[in-house]
Parts: sequence; C-alpha cells; structure tokens
Amino acid sequence: MVNSESWDWEIANKMVADTSKWKSQFEDVWEPYISSDGEKIASIVKVGEGEFNIAVNNATWGEEPFEKIWYSRFSPDGRLTALITKDQEWTMAVDGKPWEQMYEYIWDTKFSADGKVIAATTKQDGVYAITVDEKTWECPVKLHSIASHVISPDGKTSVAIAQTVATAEADVNAFTKGSWSVVVNGKPWKENYVDVYGLTISDDGKNIAVEYRAAICEYGIVVNETPWNEKFACTWEPVFHPTNSNEITTPVRQGGQWFLATNGRIVWDTGFYSLLYQTYSPDGSKIAATVAPSFAKWTIAVNGQPWSKTFNECLLQPCFSPDSRKVAVIAKDSGNWFLVVDGTVLGEGYDNIWPPVFSPNDNKVICKVEKNGKYAVAVNGKIKGKEYEALWNPVVSPDGTKVMICGVEAGKYYRKVVLLSDL
Amino acid sequence: MYEFVSGPLVWIAFIIFIGGSLYRIYYMLAGSKKEKVVFPHMSLEHSVASLVHWVIPFNNQSMRKRPIFTIISFAFHICLIFTPIFLLGHMILLDESLNISWWTLPEGVADWMAIIVIAGCIFFLYRRLTDPVVKNVTDASDYLLLAITALPFITGFIAYHQLFAYKTILIVHILAGELMLIAIPFTRLSHMLFFVFTRSYFGSEQGHVKHSKDW
Amino acid sequence: MKPTIAIREPVVDDALDQAEAKLTPEQIEKVINEVIDKETGGRLWTYVNTCIHCGLCSEACHWFLSNDRDVSFAPVTKIKDTLWVMLKNKGKVDAAFIKRCSQIAHTECNACRRCGMYCPFGIDIAYMILVVRRICAKLEMVPLYLQDTVHSHAATMNQMWVKPDEWIDTLQWQEEEAQGYVPSARLPLEKEGAEIMYSVIGPEPKFLAQLLGNITVIMKVAGCDWTMPATAGWDNSNMAMYSGDFEVMARVERLHHETAQRLKVKKIVMGECGHAFRGAEYDGPTWMGWMKPPIPIVHAIAFYYDLLVSGRIKIAKKVEGPVTSQYPCNVIRNAGLGSKLQYIMNEVCENFVDLIPNDRHAFCCNAGGGTINCGPPWKKIRVQSAKLQSENFKRTGAHTIVTPCHNCHSGVEDIVDKYKLGMHVKFFSELLIEAMEIPEDLQP
Repeated sequence: MVNSESWDWEIANKMVADTSKWKSQFEDVWEPYISSDGEKIASIVKVGEGEFNIAVNNATWGEEPFEKIWYSRFSPDGRLTALITKDQEWTMAVDGKPWEQMYEYIWDTKFSADGKVIAATTKQDGVYAITVDEKTWECPVKLHSIASHVISPDGKTSVAIAQTVATAEADVNAFTKGSWSVVVNGKPWKENYVDVYGLTISDDGKNIAVEYRAAICEYGIVVNETPWNEKFACTWEPVFHPTNSNEITTPVRQGGQWFLATNGRIVWDTGFYSLLYQTYSPDGSKIAATVAPSFAKWTIAVNGQPWSKTFNECLLQPCFSPDSRKVAVIAKDSGNWFLVVDGTVLGEGYDNIWPPVFSPNDNKVICKVEKNGKYAVAVNGKIKGKEYEALWNPVVSPDGTKVMICGVEAGKYYRKVVLLSDL
Repeated sequence: MYEFVSGPLVWIAFIIFIGGSLYRIYYMLAGSKKEKVVFPHMSLEHSVASLVHWVIPFNNQSMRKRPIFTIISFAFHICLIFTPIFLLGHMILLDESLNISWWTLPEGVADWMAIIVIAGCIFFLYRRLTDPVVKNVTDASDYLLLAITALPFITGFIAYHQLFAYKTILIVHILAGELMLIAIPFTRLSHMLFFVFTRSYFGSEQGHVKHSKDW
Repeated sequence: MKPTIAIREPVVDDALDQAEAKLTPEQIEKVINEVIDKETGGRLWTYVNTCIHCGLCSEACHWFLSNDRDVSFAPVTKIKDTLWVMLKNKGKVDAAFIKRCSQIAHTECNACRRCGMYCPFGIDIAYMILVVRRICAKLEMVPLYLQDTVHSHAATMNQMWVKPDEWIDTLQWQEEEAQGYVPSARLPLEKEGAEIMYSVIGPEPKFLAQLLGNITVIMKVAGCDWTMPATAGWDNSNMAMYSGDFEVMARVERLHHETAQRLKVKKIVMGECGHAFRGAEYDGPTWMGWMKPPIPIVHAIAFYYDLLVSGRIKIAKKVEGPVTSQYPCNVIRNAGLGSKLQYIMNEVCENFVDLIPNDRHAFCCNAGGGTINCGPPWKKIRVQSAKLQSENFKRTGAHTIVTPCHNCHSGVEDIVDKYKLGMHVKFFSELLIEAMEIPEDLQP
C-alpha cells in the first residue's frame, strides 16, 4: 500500500499549478491526471506538429518531445509514466525517461501497490509478453495474444491470460481443444483451456485463480492449476478471501439462477436473478454482493440477506467500512445515482457518483459527485463545500480526521487538506 | 334426454368452460411469472394501444393487406360470439330457468349471422385445403376445431328452420354447443382466451420496451 | 401432420456435419427438455397453444415471398418443422433433425420480427426461433462461421479476433487520418468522465477503419466530449446472442456496459449497427436483470438526428441525386427510429427516395440475425432470398443505398452485386462527412 502518512496533511489550501496557462502555452491540452498525494498534476500536451510532451505542474515531463504520448498515469509512488513512440516504435517512459528497449507495441500499464514495480503488456516480433521494469518475460511457448494481466500487490508476481496455441481461421476444433492459458511470471500453466476469464491473484501473491470454460456451456474455477470439481452453467470473476487466501468465492449459475459459491460449494442458499461483485469485508467475516432478487430490482445482499430497499436500474460494487460493519454502494434508480448505506439512501440523487470511502472513525461516507456538469465532495450524500470544474476522489487521512480534496477551480489546480469535521 | 342435455349438462358445460378457462389463464400467468421478465415488460398503455389496433378492422397493416380475409374473419368472429349470446331462443330458455334476460337479436338477423358463421367455417376449410402454407400446417385437430365450431351453428340453423327431426336436431345442437364450450379452454380454441394476453404482451414489448409499434 | 417438403441445394458446413455425427439421442433429449422446462415459460406455452395455424405470418416473410411463396420458408412452417416436433416428441428427435433445425433457425430466418407484426395474436415467432437456436447452440449445432465468430467473442470480447494492441493501434492511426481533415481532431482514449463512450463493432477496426476516422471528425466538428476504451469492452456487437450461446452473450454485453460504467460516461453512442443495438439495449440487459441499459445507449441514427436538429452539425452541400435507405430491423421496427432516419436522410440528401414498404414495415436486408455470419456456405440461399428487397431497391432508382447497420451494409452489397443494381452502398456517416460543413477554424 502507499503510505499516505508521509503526505502533507497540514491544513492548507495550496494552489499547485495554474493549469489555465497551459492552454496558451501549448497547441492542445488533454485531460489532466494527478499523483496520489495530490502534489502533481499532469496533462499530455501538443507542442508542435507530431510533437507531444506532458505538462507537470509548472514544468514539462520529457526533456524532448515525443512523436506520440498516451496513457499517462502516475505510479502510486508519484512517478509519472506514459506510453511513448519514437521512430514508429513504442516504449514506456517514466518521469520523461524512456525505457531502453523499444517494442512493436506496449499497453495496459499496471503498478505494484507501493508503485515501485511497473508492468505492461508488450509485443515484439509478433510475440506477446509482460514486461516488468524493463524485463520482458521469457516464455517457453510463443504467446499469440494477451487478453489481460494482473500484478500482485508486492509486485513479485505478474500473471496474464494468454493465447498459448495458434488457431487457424474458423478452426473451431482447435479452439474447443483449448488455446488459452494462464502464464505466471513467464511460465504457462500445463493445461490449455477453451476460454479463461476473471484472472485474480490473492493479496499475499501466493494463489492465482481464473474462471474457465470447461465446455461450450460449462464453466468452472481453476485455482493454481487445479479446477474445482463442480461445474456451472456460468460463473463470474472469483475473489480471494482477504486474509485466508485458500478461500475463494465466486457467483455461479445453476438452474437459471445465480448463487454464491466458496471453494466450489454453494454458500448462499438463496438464488438470485443476478449476482455480481461479491466483496469480502476487510476482516473477511462477511461477504456483500450486488444482487437482483427479481428482474430489474437491484439491491445488496450481505451474507445472503438482501436489503429490503431495491433500485430499478443498477448497482455498482459494494464497499465495506474499515470496521467491516457498514456497507455502502452507488445505486441508479430512475435515471439518478444515489449513495446507499446499509439499505438507506443518503442525500439526494446525482448525475454521477464516484466510489465512496468511509472515514475510519465515525463511518462518514465521502465521495465525489457530479451535478449539472460540476463536481463536488459529498459527505453522507450531501454536497459539502464548493463546486469544481474537475475533481479527484477525496482521500481521508490515515488518522481519519482530515480529508484531501484535489480539484480545479477557475483553471487553477488546488490541493486542499481540511478537517473532516469542517466538511 | 332433452331434459338432461338442456339442464344438468348445460351447467356442467358452463362450469367446465369457466373453470377450465380460469385454470388455463392461471396456468399461463403462472408460467409467465416464472419467466421473470414478462410482467416487468408489460405496460397497460401499450397493451391497450395494441388491442385497439387489432380489434378494429383495417386498423393495422396486416389487415389492410388482406381485405377479404379481414372482412370474413371479422364477420365470422362477431357473429360467432354475438349470435348465441343474443339469440331469442337462448333467451327464452334462460328466462324460463333463471328468470334473467337481455336484449335479443331480431330472428331474421340472427339467422343470417348463423349463416355467416357457417360460411366462415367453409371459407376457413377451403383455405386449409387449398392455401399451401395453411395446408402444410393443418392436421386433424384443425379440422376437428372447425367442426366443433361449425356444428352448433349448422344444427342451430336446422333446428330453427325445423327442417327435419326437430327434437333430435335440437338435442344435437345443445350437445354441440356444450362440446364447444368445453373445448374452448382445452384446445387451440383457447386463442379466444389468450388473444388479449398475447396481443398485450407483444404490444408492450414493441411499444414499452422497444419504443416502436406492433401494427 | 405431414412433414414439410423442403427442397434445398446441399450445403456443406463442417461444424453442422461434425455435430450431427457426434450427437446422441440422449444428449438431444436432455438439452431440449432442459431448455423448454428451465429456460422458457408462459410465453412459449401460450404461443404454441394460441397459434391457430392460419398462415397469415407468411405474407410478412421475405424468405417466403422471395422464394416464390415456397411453403418451407413460411414462418409458421419454420416453427412446425422445429419446435412443434420437439414438443410433440418430448425431445426425442435425432441429430439429423437438430441439424435441420439449425439450418432453419440460423440460416433461414433473420429474427427480424416482421412476422410477429402480421400475426393477429402478436405471436413472437422470432422469439421461438431463438429458442430453437438456443437448443442448437447447447448441442453445438451451429454453422461453422457463426460459431467461429462466437468463439471470437468469447476469447477476445470482440467479433473479429482483434487483439488488444491492434485495436488501440488502429484508433491511433485513424486519429491521424482524421487530423488530415481537421488537424485538431482527437480520438480520446480512456478519458474518464467524458460525456460519451463511443463503441463500434469488430469489423470497424478490422476492415472499415475509416469509419473510426470519420467519427473522430464528426465528434470534433460537433464539439462532443467523448472517449473510446483502450480495453476490451469496446465491441458492442454480439453474435453469441444469435447463435444461442447466451452465457457468452451476457459476458460480452456485461463487459461493454461495465466499460462505460468504469469510464463514468453519461451515455454510450454506438456506430451504425442494428444487431449490436439489440444486444446492448435489450437482450444483454434482459439477461443481466437490467430493465434498460445501466448507461443509456444511443444508436448512431438518434445521435446524428440530435446533432442535426440541434445545429451542432450543419450541412454545407446536400448529397445530389436520388438516395434511398435500408431500414435496419433492429433499430427501426424494433426500436422505433424510423422517423429519425427519414429526418436525417432528408437533411443530408437532396432527393431521398423512400422505400416501399418503409419504416417498421420495411423488409430485412436478409443478412441480419446472424445469417450473414453463417458464412460462405449459406450465402447463395441468403442472397437469393433477398430478391424481394432487391426489387424494392431497384424501384427507387437511387444511385446510393444508405445502410445505417453493418449487417445491412454487407447484405445490401451482396444484393447490389447479385441483382446488378449498380448502386453504391454507404453508411450514413460517409454521407455526412461529404455533406457537412467543417467550420473555418477547424479546417487545415
């Protein structure tokens, strides 16, 4: 995890950069990103014909412009990465400095939890791989494509869903024999599968699980190359228990209904029309999931018990309070988004709501909301403080007393730290 | 014999007709509920809109394309339903036994309406025998349904005109009517019961869910 | 009831032949009964018990009308030859029968839903055809090329085996192409919080990349705040919906909608495709339990209508000469966008010659519903059975047929080719690019 204790938590309203100047300085300015500590704001900018750079606060990122830049993302440790091209070849650049190796293509940047490890999918001479800190996998079999990859929080394990067998056009037989597998640090699993989905890695980095397609209409879960005995009509992405990585839970479909299954066994006896986004509480004692007890009626079920309040459009992923007692979720009903905590709607409806966070001490729920094209911070569903042209998700200080609010007002980027009690 | 078919058997026929119809509708609704999406997709507004466009002749493209069929079909169905309900002869029986009555059709009109139903049956029979598409999907049950439908009207017509063996024909007529009543819920004559529902559902799906129209 | 006499030229489809050789009667019986008992309910039961065998649906079907009123192509016949038999025999049918079911349901019906509109009871025959397809799909009895497309959806989440890097690379290339027209045009990738996520179908990056350049120009001129995902979830098409593999269909649709949710957009605007709209607007959400898509979906026709009505796009010079338009079933009959299509055609064309019949009564291009995806083995009968619509096109005397749908586009190209119509086939966006005004400050 990023250690946010080292950030500047002094109560202040700091103007970090006047981004309105960028508009006159550069030919074109793209949407900005900020570092996790809020101290830096960056936008890809066009500096000339076929020449791009990144404006970071009051400076530019690269010493020299690049032909093209995209996917600029801050690593959790504050370094700014982006994908750049030079002479028709691509690579990663970190803080303006490109990796030495160039690739046919590079995409899907991922970071370890502390941001020290940077990984991305690369393609070179038609071979796909994951490149971790400039070191490309050496895989004994040729990978013909990589669908997705994840990296363990400690950055030591990188895993990808990859095509391990080439299939000719319309060769359905080869396909149904299996042409996809899981590759861990460059080493493929022994089995090939028809399809592989929902790649996940446990927090301790020891266990890897995926959904796989056992037959045309049969799905299951494989953990560390061992499939569950049970097969289902369909599955969704599995999730590891936060403290016991031998336990893994996933929604499974049986007899036209969705159930929750742990290690192959159905653990919630109620079936639902739909069941998604199962989420463990931080202490691992509870599971909340987004469910539809009947068609077009959505709610949250905690340990299989649905809330009585339902919503007619959709629900996003539930989120537990740090003490594992409360559950918050963003719900859409009749065109508006609402913040819902433990089955009760807090505040009014918004045009958009970003993922909520709980303050650790008093279980206040804080989130970024959008109304009429402006953004604001809402506490328990009510807008507190001013509106912004752009705003990032508010961050609560480790001691739970303060909130960092980063936003753009009148073209200027501010990083504010305020007392939660003042909001 | 006459007393039996015109007394207890009528009661039995109506009980089976009503009870059977209710059961079949319940069965359909229960089955639709099982499907989960059916009722959420329904809308009263679009159900009514669909019905309005399909119970009024020439109020939709399909009927306008086939004017002869539309005229015959409407005439047939109207006469089929209204003749027995508003027939003087039926009313007298009803008045005698239950002491209730309502408006009746002039006898001559009712006579012609019965002829229309019989003619309609002949037309449908002709289509079944000659139209290649219809012929291909016709089996014994379709002829049987036509016979069940035509018989009460043919016998009723003969009885009314007392052409021969009045008493026997009358018994056959009553039996035929009872047979038809009993057949409605348990054969594809149940389209009479389901019409409102299938139309409402398709109307709702086209209108409420798909923002289009079904006529 | 005597079996229907269906005379067809023999067609070799490896996947169907293999499945026929492999299937056992036990498997067939199990799957049929499973689907009928578990996956259908009141609708199917009522439809089967209400159909009075009147044959009026046949008048609605272009397969029937194009094949000299061959009985074997009538909608009611297609149900008779598939579901009626399965129901009557309680699933006890043989592999050859299932193969014929796939031929009927996958290759000889577009699920265009026109027949439902001509049935006095509103019996949704296309729904029943999809039940047949579902049974076939679970038995792996799906025409080869359609199945291959479904495998592509399942493996890559797009229709055309487009790899993730090829997707992004194509967008970046088309951004440059667009800059040739409008130097400041941008194709913003992964822009969280944009108003619009634009999604397309697999063939756009694969074969018709210029359409991505076109939309980049249009979005710039209209001043839209938009984005496209650089991840899977960009493809809104869904052939799994048509093969009957609803689990794959749901996974594809779910990812598409979740990608829009992840990008926090207000709406998804989709390119000119009909079946994709159906999948994203109805079939996918219905399977997922959403009454409507969690992020609203706007079809290109409605989007261009809004841009033209609001004046965000102005027409500099209308397209000359007679132009007609195909009415894609899934966005016209089954989504009510007919009058909007007529509006945008009149705005952009000097002489829009309408089809007869038009709007929701227009006939299918005969490529829809997954039939064109059944591939070369089935092309001959498909194009032959579009004869009726070829005559309708011919009558308009147009030099160009607009097809605001990818399936229609390919299908109508086949029609133009086979019936020697000598007409161009274009997407609406191609006309718009020709006709729209590019403001001076945006010009090179």
